[in-house]
Formats: sequence, structure tokens, C-alpha cells
Amino acid sequence: MKTELYACVYAEEFPAQALLRLHPELATQPVAVLDGRPPLQTVCSMNRLARLTGSSQGMTRLEAESINGLRLIARSTETEAAARAVLFESAAQFSPRLEDVSQPTACSCVLDITGTECLFGPPETLARNLRAALITAGFRASVAVSANFHSAHLKSAAIRGITVIPPGQEAAALGRLPLAVLDLPADPDETFLLWGIRTLEELAALPESDLVARLGPQAVDWRKLAGGTLPHAFEPIEADFSLQEFCAFETPIEQIDSLLFIGARMIDCLATRAGARALSLASLAVGMQLEGGLAYQRTIRPALATIDRKFLLKLLQLEIAAHPPQAAVLSLTLRAQAGQSSKVQLGLFAPQTPEPSRLDVTIARLKAIAGDDRVGSPVLEDTHRPGSFRMENFSITIPSIARKPGEPEPARARMALRRVRPPTRVRVQLDALKPVAFRDREQSFKVAAAYGPWRTCGCWWSTEAWNTEEWDVLAESSGGSSVACLLVRDCTRDQWQLEAFYD
Amino acid sequence: MPSASALRLQIESSLERRFPAALSPVPRTVRETASTGIPEVDHLLDGGLPVGAISEITGPVSSGRTSLALAFLAARTGDDCACAWIDANDAFDSESAAASGVALRQLLWVRCRLHSPTAKPWARSDFSNLDQALRATDLLLQAGGFSALVLDLGSTAPEHCARIPLATWFRFRQAADRTRCSLVVVAQEPVAQSSAALVLECAAMNAQTDGRTVLAGCEYQVRTGRVASAASALHLAGRRKPPASVWPAIAAAQRSAAAERKASA
Repeated sequence: MKTELYACVYAEEFPAQALLRLHPELATQPVAVLDGRPPLQTVCSMNRLARLTGSSQGMTRLEAESINGLRLIARSTETEAAARAVLFESAAQFSPRLEDVSQPTACSCVLDITGTECLFGPPETLARNLRAALITAGFRASVAVSANFHSAHLKSAAIRGITVIPPGQEAAALGRLPLAVLDLPADPDETFLLWGIRTLEELAALPESDLVARLGPQAVDWRKLAGGTLPHAFEPIEADFSLQEFCAFETPIEQIDSLLFIGARMIDCLATRAGARALSLASLAVGMQLEGGLAYQRTIRPALATIDRKFLLKLLQLEIAAHPPQAAVLSLTLRAQAGQSSKVQLGLFAPQTPEPSRLDVTIARLKAIAGDDRVGSPVLEDTHRPGSFRMENFSITIPSIARKPGEPEPARARMALRRVRPPTRVRVQLDALKPVAFRDREQSFKVAAAYGPWRTCGCWWSTEAWNTEEWDVLAESSGGSSVACLLVRDCTRDQWQLEAFYD
Repeated sequence: MPSASALRLQIESSLERRFPAALSPVPRTVRETASTGIPEVDHLLDGGLPVGAISEITGPVSSGRTSLALAFLAARTGDDCACAWIDANDAFDSESAAASGVALRQLLWVRCRLHSPTAKPWARSDFSNLDQALRATDLLLQAGGFSALVLDLGSTAPEHCARIPLATWFRFRQAADRTRCSLVVVAQEPVAQSSAALVLECAAMNAQTDGRTVLAGCEYQVRTGRVASAASALHLAGRRKPPASVWPAIAAAQRSAAAERKASA
């Protein structure tokens, strides 16, 4: 039978860590996190520099503000939830069996690492790699490994860094820890102080029967806990894999550059997490809470799923530049959809095509120049209405199959039209219902030949009904130039328009 | 007695400082071309439009410039190449393109307009449609991968096109050469000046009619303008594109029905 083995991850001061994770520029400043509703806010968490300046948990906002240089940030439960998910996901790389033992201001989980020696090496190596993975994800956490669940938890909460307790030596490893790590109720805690019991070693040495007689049956568990022998029924949770990052801002942000500074860090985290599972980011949903209760939602879909951080950041920048938020930003959420890493099979004799990732950036830039709906591939509508089409996103298509023998050749050398958008209204002079001259705003034309009319109508049952009469006209302008154009008479409104030129 | 090769070597070495390889013939570079899709024009141009260079198709309205450009794109997209049409005046007709044989899925259409739709002041731009077209062309040339780009300035006034700096065309030429892209400029008059490898001058000839009610096509004249040694001209005939729809059969049926209704009325 294999010996049970547990690794506990303990990230203290988690509210501060969750906020500072996406603000690396604050890492060199003393930062304290305030919890509660104004004006009753108190300090609930802080970083190491803030502790050195003299701040402590429970300080009021007024007291904290009196400390010179201390930066105060409001607590964000959404940011903590997103950061907790990231921490659990990073830890789950080493074991799928994970139990949440978080505390109000600390994020902690215990991993069941029984039998993982073949995969990750001895417990010391696993603990070292686990801590390194957490640092990569932006967390500073202590790791303790023990054969006893509670021992690992107590040790990681009390000792920073990496601790490995050899099997059977739990009592010795926990012996010097203060009694406060057990988080006992107030009454027995005072009783133990009166008895002069201050460490776990002293508690574990008390006789069990006398302890139960004086403090009740729960004292048995405390004694076993102190001796590192309390059993535990492991309750694993399902580590939810959701590629989401959230950041609430201290002050509303109006500049895109400031937004992208945070966005870059968030994309970095998302790409790292997806890459750890051999996945890529297929789409990136950008959500913002704006001042005035407004919401902002955009979705970026690269042509190929990728974890290229620079490329995704460029797409994010262009998307926000093309569709800027209408008010200052209060919070930013990036939600990614995972996809399989894309592979493109290139052919030696295939024609050159744009590189998909570069094409995405180019099209985003073109849309920023010309407009969102004015860049793409035209697709003809299934209608008889002249000149109807819609725009679709341009994408590199798979080379078509070679034309079968007998299949008709595509039409070539057609006379092409140049559309006049919007159509120019013209005055037309008729003779025997045929145009003989027309005039627009600039010049007049004398019709040399008019071919028509071609009458079309449709959609009479809707508001988009049309009823037109087309004339192909060869005309000579007042300047002496000859043109071939398409004149259209709107029969409904009895108006003539210059729709296009043959060119 | 020294041989001819030894003499040549001696002369070349003595003149090396002033004329490197004075007596050796300069190797002739054969420029790659792409078919325009019109045999007559290909014959005139010895193969087609140059690849990796700027070609200009010039002429007044109704001179067949757009038809020629679309025929070229049809040939390129028929080879599964990606192409782009930068439309400075929003004049592109997708039905004509489809009828000319352009694979629209292979075509990126950039429709320039007067004002950018961005809302915020930091992102707002006031590029004119010509500026937008030039910026779009620059971006697409730099991106690479497109076999043909058509910069349509056909409805832009020549005096506006003449204001485009020469450095812009130099940059386009370099980028086209680097990315092996055929940049075709459709304009009323030549604009790229010395950066253009080829200038074609188009002119309308005669309309072809089918009875009194159908404009069947038009004859266009194409002349090479920039290559002085090839001042030849030819005539080509363009088939009329039924303007009502993309598919010729449906368009014919539609027009037949219209003609029947007209007769019955």
C-alpha cells in the first residue's frame, strides 16, 4: 500500500497578491488593501513593503493614510476569484486531485500527490517546481509536503518557502509551531494560555483522557492535530478551466495605452495558461464596465488560434482603437476561448498567400482606416435587385479543385461597370419615351444611342420594394468626351439616376 | 598570337577602373509576367503585366480600364492567388467582377470613404479617400502575400492624383518588388511616373449592338504608353455584361421576362 502524500500551497495576503499580480509596477511600492464599506474600511491585506512601513491588518483607513508613502487599494472580490482560479489551475498541473482550504485572506489548496514520484520526481523536486510554476503565474506561495493532510496545511501556513516533512516525523516538524496556527476558539485558547501551553509540541504531550475531561471531546482532534496524526477524508474539487482574467481599476481609465498596459499582462497570463495545456487562444472576448453603468463588449477572432502575445496584443489595440469605449473604463475582463494549435500545410507549388496572423493585423488596420464594414470580400446576394451584395470577412481559402474537363470556362473580358455611389440624380429629356439628353449637376450629355428599357421589380410585399427601368446609354458630354453609362428610372418615384459607367 | 578571349581579358582588365566588364555583354534579365486574361493584350505585352512592379492602366471614363483590370484579377484569382482591390471612390461593382470571372472569395475589397467612423478624439482621423487608399495600399504591400493589388483611382480627379508624392510611388515600387506583387493603378492619367514599369493607355472604339435594344459590347483600344519601342496598338472586343445579375443565365431569363412583359403591355 502506498503512503499518502500531500502538498499544500499557501498564498498569504491573497487580496493584495491578486491585485498586484496584474500591476507589476506596484511591486516596488508599499501597498495595503482596504476592505469594508466607507467610512468603516480597514486594512485586510498588504505586501511585504507595506508591513515594513508599519501597517498591519485591522488598521482603519485613517490610520493607514497617516503612513507616509503607503498606497491604498480597495479590495476586489472579482479579481480575487479570477486569481484564485489561476492559482488552482497552476497547482492542478501537478495533480488533478485538489482540495480548497482557503481562508479569508489567504488562498490555499492541498494536492494529493500520492504516486506522482515517477512523473515529477521526489517530493522536494515537486515542491520546488510547484512553487516555480506559481511564481510564473504571479503568486508568492509557500509549499509544504507531508504524509498528513493537516500537517502539510499547518506547516505551509506557518513557514514560508518549501518544507518537506518526512513520513512519521510530523509531530517533530510541527512541535515548535505556536498554538495560534490551530485557530482555536477563544475559550480553549485562553485555557491553554493559563496552563502555559504555547506550542503544538506541548499540546500533543498532554494526556488525552484528562484533556477530554476538561475541554470536551473536540480536544481529541486538537491533540491529534498538534501531533500530526489527525486523519482527513479528502474532498477533491473539480478545477474549473476557464480562460478568464479580470481587473478592476482603482481609478477610471480614459487612455488606451493605460488599458493596454494591463491588457498585455492579462493576455500574457491567458497565453501562458493555454500553452500549459498545449492549447491556443481561438477567440478573445473583451468586456469593460464603463462609467455611467455602460458596458462594452467586443470579440477578437484571429484567423488561426494562437498564443502569440504580441500578435494578440496588437489585435486588441487595433480593436479598441477602432471601437473606443464611450466612457472611462472601470474594469476590464478578458475571456478567451481555447482552441487547438493551428498548423498550416504549405505546398511547394502553392501560390503565395498572406500569412494569416499578419493578415489579421493588416485587416484590422484597414478597418481602422476605412471602417469596420468596408473591408472584406464581396458576396453576391441571392436576389435580382441590381447591385446588391454584402461584405464578409476576408480569409485565405483553400485552393480550389482543378477544373474538370467539359466544365465551362469562366466568362472573360466582360464590360465592367463602375458604380456611382450614391447614384447621381439627373434630369432626362425624353423623346418617344427614350432618353435623348440628360444633365447632372456638373455637365450635360447628349445621348447618341439608348438601349432599353430593361424593367425589373421585386420585393413588392416589403418596404424594400423596387421597380426600375434601366437604359444603357452612349452619350457625349458637353466637354466632348464620350461615355457609356447606365441610367435608371425609378418608376415608383419617377426619378432618373445615373447608376454607373461602363468602363 | 593571343587568342580573342585573352585580348578581351587584357582590354577589360586595363579598363576595369573606368568600365567594369567593358566587352562582356550585360546579362539580360527576363522579367516575370502575369497574364491579363485577354490574349490580345498578353500578345502586346509579351506575356502580360509585370510581376513585382507597378503597372498603370490609364484612360478616360468608358475606355475599358476597369474591364482590363478585372480580367487581370480574374486570371490571378483563377490561379488561387490572393488579390485586393483598393477602391478610392467606392466604384467597384461586384457583379461585374463575378461576371468577369473574378473569384470573389480570393478578393479583398477595401472601400475607402471620406471620414473614418471612429468616435473618440484620439482615434479620429480625417484622411480623405485618396489618403485612405494610399495608406491601405501601403499596408497591403508591406503585409505581403497578395499576388495582385489594384489601386483604383479611376474616378479621382487627375489634379488630386498628381499631388501624390513621388516618394510614395518609390516606396510602393520597392515593396511590390520585394513581395512579388503586381500593383495595378487604374487612373485617368499616368501618376506613378518613373516608378511605373508599364503604362497602358486605353480608349473606347465602337459599341457593338444587338438590335436596337441591346448593347452587346464595346471595342477598346489598348496602347503601351511608357515603353517607347512598343508603340503598337490593337483592338479587342469586350462582351457586354448583363448588369442585372451575376449569373448570365438568370440575367438573360430576367431580361427575357421583362421584354415579354413589355411586349404584352
